[in-house]
Amino acid sequence: MNGKRVALLVFLLTILIVIIIIFFRSGVIEKIKLPPEVPLPELEPLPPEPVKTRTIVLFFLSEGDTFLHPEEREIAASSSIVRQAKQAIEELIKGSKTGYISPFPPETKLRELFLTKGGVAYVDFSEDIVEKYLSGSSAEISTIFSVVNSLTYNFKSIKKVFILIEGQERETLGGHINLSKPFLPLYDLIAN
Amino acid sequence: MISQKKRSVLISAVILLFLLSSFSVSQIQPFIKLSVKDYPNFSRVVIKSSFPLSFEIEKSPSLLMIDIRTDVLFRIRREAFESRLIKSFGWSKGRDYYILTIRTKSRNFSYDYFTLDNPPQLVIDFSQLSEERSETQASLKEKEASERKIPQALTPSTLPRTQTAPSSLKGTKTIIIDPGHGGLEPGARGRFGALEKNVVLAISFKLKAIIERNFPSRVVLTRDKDINVSLENRAALANNNKADLFISIHTNSSYRKEARGPETFFLSLKATDEEARMLAYLENNPAEFEKGITGENEDEIQMILWDMAQSAYLKQSSLLAESIQKELNSLLRTSNRGIKQAPFKVLAGVACPAVLVEVAFISNPKEERRLQTEWFQNNIAQAVYRGLVNYIQHYSQE
Repeated sequence: MNGKRVALLVFLLTILIVIIIIFFRSGVIEKIKLPPEVPLPELEPLPPEPVKTRTIVLFFLSEGDTFLHPEEREIAASSSIVRQAKQAIEELIKGSKTGYISPFPPETKLRELFLTKGGVAYVDFSEDIVEKYLSGSSAEISTIFSVVNSLTYNFKSIKKVFILIEGQERETLGGHINLSKPFLPLYDLIAN
Repeated sequence: MISQKKRSVLISAVILLFLLSSFSVSQIQPFIKLSVKDYPNFSRVVIKSSFPLSFEIEKSPSLLMIDIRTDVLFRIRREAFESRLIKSFGWSKGRDYYILTIRTKSRNFSYDYFTLDNPPQLVIDFSQLSEERSETQASLKEKEASERKIPQALTPSTLPRTQTAPSSLKGTKTIIIDPGHGGLEPGARGRFGALEKNVVLAISFKLKAIIERNFPSRVVLTRDKDINVSLENRAALANNNKADLFISIHTNSSYRKEARGPETFFLSLKATDEEARMLAYLENNPAEFEKGITGENEDEIQMILWDMAQSAYLKQSSLLAESIQKELNSLLRTSNRGIKQAPFKVLAGVACPAVLVEVAFISNPKEERRLQTEWFQNNIAQAVYRGLVNYIQHYSQE
């Protein structure tokens, strides 16, 4: 009986030792594998590389009056004006960082933006830009001209803005302002 | 025996308690009680309620509105009354508010109020102002006529009937009223569910009735029911009817929660340079435009001219807008508001002076409530009418 027990114990111990050895060995193997990966972050010079930014001005509404109010924003100074303009519109949709009111439904998405040689920016929004509950003249004017003014104010090559919805021309957003022609900026709408 | 007696006493006590409690529940069912009593110098309206009242009071000619904010469901009890000054009560109910309107027999009244506790009471004393003290049963028509004659602070003309006789119409034969939106397109919506298309149709009907009562002009509505009408068809209807004036009625909305007050728009040419070029062209070649709208030729230039018909009438449109806005400002005491310009689709093709009136913000709950009341709709219609008459008298060309 005793002998059998001892034998069983020895047997289990050896198995345990084998398992431990395998465990540590495999750990060693992994450690050997790791080193080539470790230096990689050190080699990456990406964070210190200076990303050029530029300051643009976006236009939002304020509770206090009916005008559009400027708010500065840093965007990547990409070599492509279209890419910059897209970023400007995306920032505009995201809304103000200083408590102004964004004249867009938050679900609005910029689908596409392209620029013609004649200086007309075609800005294509998702259907969400049509705010069903707020389809009044003031809401429409603020939505349209925050886009138009924000683009023409920051990008000299954009002279006019044509608004598309889901890739299509639309008569109006909600029955008021004519969308079938490109807009010139209306700087009268800006405060001061 | 004793225990049985005890039990029956207990049961009857319980029943009694139950009855009492149900009785007292019915007793404290919320109510508002209205009573009116005349005193030598004033008439007193007492609004007694079984629950605390929070209210706002607004005065307009021959009307006092009490806006009661509560979600309590209550009964209204009123006593029959006979009063020198108080004509009637009216109620309208919203989701969490009630509006009590007290109509007076005279437009010329002042009021004073105070509140009492236990039970909560709002006491309003109405007194007659000097002149029309003895007015008693003025007919509704006379009252409406006098309403038009009351000089508003900013109204230069008091518009007596004789001046609005056909001779002073200066050729304004046809007026188009355009109730915005309609059908599947409800326009702006208020937070409590009011729809722009319904409100503007109601105001347009009222405006039509007022004009027709005073003018021999023909008044045409671009829609007289809840249907879709395209923006082009609205302008085309005006041109086909040889309209002399075009007034589009809308209710406004904004992303700004506090936005309020009336705004009158006319077409902007600044926003698209194509239109600006057209304007310059028309200013230099006025004869071309005259030729254009007679529709004798069919070349493309004419199509463009027709499309841009409004550009020839901008000056007059701005005067019409100013005249209407002035009346709305004086009605609603929003003196700081001016007229505005924007590239409205519906105005662009109209070949006569044309404006778009945003009478109030339906996106503002307070204005939404007002927009649904008869008196506000009537007042707006009256103010637009006065603006129209002022414009015709001062600026309209023969």
